[in-house]
Amino acid sequence: MHLTNICMRTIAGVFAAGYLSLSAGAAFAQSGDMDAGEAVYAKRCLQCHGEDGDGLGPAAERLNPPPRDFTLGMYKYKTTGFDDDIPNDADLTRMIRDGMPGTAMPGWGDMLSEQDIADVLAYIKYFAEIEDAPEIQVDYGTQVTSSPESIAAGKALFEEGDRCTECHGLEGKGSAIKKLKDDNGDRTWPRNLTKPWTFRASNDPKDIFTRISVGIPTTQMPSFADPNSKSSVSVEDRWNIANYVASLAKTDLVVNPENFVIQGGRVDGALPTSPDDEAWATAPPSTFIMVPQIVGEDRFFTPANDTISVRALYDDNSVAIHVEWDDRTKSIPGDDKAASIADEELFEDSVAIQFPRDIPEGMEKPYFLMGDGTNPVNLWRWNSGTTDAPQTGTVFDAMGINDQQARADNGELSVSSSYRDGTWRVVMTRALTTVLPETDLQFEEGRFVPISFFAWDGSNSEAGTAHTMTTWYWLQLKPAASSKPIVYGVLAALLSLLVLIWWGRGAAARAKREA
Amino acid sequence: MRIPRLLQATLVLVGVYFGFIVVFDYILEAVIPRSLLTMYMFFVTAGVFMVFTYDEDQMRELAAPIKAMVEDPSKRGVRNVVFLLIPLLVGYGVYDKTMPSFDAPVELRTIHPAPPSTAKIYGERVNLLTLENPFRHYETEDPEQFAEYVEEGAAVYIENCQYCHGDKLDGKGPYAEGLNPTPLNFQDIGTIAQLQESYLYWRITTGGPGLPKEAAPWISSMPVWQNFLTEEEIWKVILFLYDYTGHAPRSWGAANASH
Ligand code: HEC
Ligand code: HEC
Ligand code: HEC
Repeated sequence: MHLTNICMRTIAGVFAAGYLSLSAGAAFAQSGDMDAGEAVYAKRCLQCHGEDGDGLGPAAERLNPPPRDFTLGMYKYKTTGFDDDIPNDADLTRMIRDGMPGTAMPGWGDMLSEQDIADVLAYIKYFAEIEDAPEIQVDYGTQVTSSPESIAAGKALFEEGDRCTECHGLEGKGSAIKKLKDDNGDRTWPRNLTKPWTFRASNDPKDIFTRISVGIPTTQMPSFADPNSKSSVSVEDRWNIANYVASLAKTDLVVNPENFVIQGGRVDGALPTSPDDEAWATAPPSTFIMVPQIVGEDRFFTPANDTISVRALYDDNSVAIHVEWDDRTKSIPGDDKAASIADEELFEDSVAIQFPRDIPEGMEKPYFLMGDGTNPVNLWRWNSGTTDAPQTGTVFDAMGINDQQARADNGELSVSSSYRDGTWRVVMTRALTTVLPETDLQFEEGRFVPISFFAWDGSNSEAGTAHTMTTWYWLQLKPAASSKPIVYGVLAALLSLLVLIWWGRGAAARAKREA
Repeated sequence: MRIPRLLQATLVLVGVYFGFIVVFDYILEAVIPRSLLTMYMFFVTAGVFMVFTYDEDQMRELAAPIKAMVEDPSKRGVRNVVFLLIPLLVGYGVYDKTMPSFDAPVELRTIHPAPPSTAKIYGERVNLLTLENPFRHYETEDPEQFAEYVEEGAAVYIENCQYCHGDKLDGKGPYAEGLNPTPLNFQDIGTIAQLQESYLYWRITTGGPGLPKEAAPWISSMPVWQNFLTEEEIWKVILFLYDYTGHAPRSWGAANASH
C-alpha cells in the first residue's frame, strides 16, 4: 500500500470518527475504527475485494458474481430507499456477518467480532468515501401476513404485464426471455425463486419485500416502488407479491443428506416412457447437489445450476431413470431466440448418468470423475438436439474425463425429454441385462449400484469438460414386497417355542425326580 | 444387597453397547455402522462370558436364576412370559434379517493415511522423508520476504482452493456440501496442525488419485495440483495455510520424539 494512501485514509479516519461522534444516530449504533478495519481487511477481505477495494482480487475472473467493487459505493442488499444509494450500516453488517448464499462471500460472524466487523465496515465505506448517513428508508407500511388470498393476489401481480415473469419466468425459475447484464457488463442470471437457499438475503417475506421495493442496485432487477416506473405497485401489493414469492420455495425436490439412495420402484404394467407421465409421482425423488467441474483439466468455475432430482422405476426387463433439473434456457443450437440469450456460443443442453461398468464387490469404485484406467464407467448421455438434428441418447465407455468412446447408436438406450418453464425432465431407459456383459453394467434387483450425474447448460458455455457434476450416490432397484420374511419369521418363532417347551418339561421332570 | 451375577453381566453388556453409541455418535459425531457395532458386541459378549464363567462356582452362580426359573414350579408365571418372549424375539430377528436391506453399503476411509516414503511428483521421484519447504527458512531470516511469499500463496489459494476448502479455510467452501468426502477443515487442529509440510506437499501435488487404497482415492475430489500449479506455488500455498490458521507445521523433531 502506498504511504500517501495510508496517510490520507488515516486523516479521513480521524475526520470520520469526529463526524460519527457528532451524528450518533441510529444508523451508527457502533462506530468502527478505520485503522483496525484496515488490518482486518488486509487479512480477510483483500484477497477477493482487492487491495484498492475495486473487487479485482486474483479470483475475480472465476467468481460469478464477482467480488463487489467498493469504490463505486453501490450495495445490492440494503434497506434504504431505491432513490438513496447509501446503505444502512446494519445492512452491510448483516451481509458481512451472515454472508451471501450462492456466492463466494462467506459469513464472517464466526471469525470476526462485532467490533472487527464495525471496523472493517468503516474501512470499506471509505473506498467510496461514504460519509453521510442515508436519508430515505424503505416504507414497510403494515405487513400483510401470508394467506391463500394474499398469495393469489401476489401471483396475479407477479404475472400482470410480465412484471416479474419477464425475467423470473412463469414458475419463478428464472427461465429468461432476455439476456441480463449488470452495470459492469457481467452476465447475470435472474434468481431461481424456487430455490430459497440461493437468495443472498433470505426469502423471508420481509426481505423479499425489501428487494421488490429497492430493486437490486447495479443489476437489472428494478425497484417496484419507483413511481416513475409503470410496473410499480402499492405497499400492500408488494407484500402480496412477497408472500407469493416466499410460497414458491421447493418443498419436495430439496437436498436431504440422508436421502442418498435412489429407490427404484417396481412396476407391474408398462414402464412410463414420457417424463411427464403420472406414474413418476409414485417414485420417491432424491435430490443431489451439483458442483462445477473444478477438478480435471480444463476446469469450469461459473455454473448456473446447483441441484438435480432423480427417480427410478423398473420392471422385469428394463430400468427407467427420470432426471429433472432447472435450466433457465432451452438451448437448441440453430434457434435464434436461444442464441440471443446464450453466452458467446450456444451448445446443446445435455445430461449424463454415470455407472461403474461392474457393480463393485468391495468398496472400490471407479474414479468419480468419469472413471480411470483400471475401472471404466458407462455414461448414458442425452443431448437436447439442434434445429437440424433430433435429441440423442448415447452410451459412452469412459476411462477418465478426457477418454470417452461413444458407442454406435444401437438403440440400446431410449430417451425422451420435455422442457417447460425452466425445467428439463429426461427419461432414459435401458434393459436390465444386455448382451454385452463385458462392457455394460448388468442390473440386479436389490443390489446397491453406484450412480452419479453430469449436466451441461449449453447457454452458459457448458460443453466438453465444462459441466456440473455430483459425487457417487446409490441406486437400488427395490425388491417387490414378498411374504418370505414373514413366513421364515413365524417358522423360527414356532421352532424356538417347541425347543423351549421341550427343555422346560425335561428340566421340570428332572427337578421332580431330584426332589 | 448383592446384584445377581446374571444381572451384572447383562448390565455390563448393555452399558458397553450404549457406551459405543454415545462415544461414536455423540462425542466423535461419526455414527457407528451397524455391522461394526455387531462385531464389537460379539467380542465384548465373548469376553464378558469368559470373565463371568472362569470357574465352576461362578458358572453355577451365573446359571442359577435361569435354572430356578425353568425348574421351580413357583416361578411358573415368569417362565411362561419368558418362553413366549424368546420365540417372539427370534421370529422378529429372522424376519428382520430376511427382509431385503435398504441400508447402503458402509464405506470406511482413512483420513490421514501413512504417506509413502517416496512419491513421483512432477515426473521425478521425491524422497518425502527429507523434503522441506524451500521458503520456510525466510520466516526467521527475512520476515518481509516471507510475508510476500505468504501473500503469493494466498492468491494461489483464493484462485484455486477456496471453492472447496472455503475462504475461511474451514472446509466450508461454496461447493463443499456437494462433495463426499467433504473438503478438510484446515482450522481444525486435527488436520494440517498434525502434519509435516512434506505430507501436505505430497497430498496437494498428487490429490485424491494419489492416495493409497485405504483412503478410497476414487471418491476424493481433491484435484491433482501438479497438473495446474508449479512446485513453488504449492510451497507458497502451504505457507499460507499455516499462516492464515496460525498453526505450525509439525517438524521432524517433534514427529520423531512422539514415536
Ligand atoms: C472469497 C471471496 C470473498 C472474500 C474473502 C470476501 N468477500 Fe465480500 N463479496 C464477495 C463476493 C463474490 C461478493 C458479491 C456478491 C454479489 O454481488 O451478489 C461480495 C460482496 C460483499 C459486500 C456487498 C454486500 C451488498 O449488499 O452488496 C460486502 C459489504 C462485502 N462483500 C464485504 C466483505 C468483507 C468485509 C470481507 C472480509 C471480512 C469480505 N467481503 C470478504 C466475495 C468475497
Ligand atoms: C429485468 C429483470 C427482472 C425483473 C423484471 C425482476 N427481477 Fe428479480 N432479479 C433479477 C435479477 C437479474 C436478479 C439477480 C441479481 C443478482 O444478484 O445478480 C434478481 C433477483 C431477485 C430476487 C433475489 C433476492 C435475493 O435475496 O437474492 C428476488 C426475491 C426477486 N428478484 C424478485 C423479483 C420480483 C418479485 C419481481 C417482480 C415484482 C422481480 N424480481 C422482477 C431480475 C429481474
Ligand atoms: C474440488 C474440491 C477441492 C479443491 C478445489 C481443493 N481441495 Fe483439497 N481436498 C479436497 C477434499 C475433498 C479433501 C479431503 C479428501 C482427501 O484427503 O483427499 C482435500 C484434502 C486436502 C488436503 C489434505 C489435508 C489433510 O489433513 O490430510 C490438503 C493439504 C488440501 N486438500 C489442500 C488443498 C489446496 C492447497 C488446494 C488448492 C491448491 C485444494 N486443496 C483444493 C477437495 C478440494
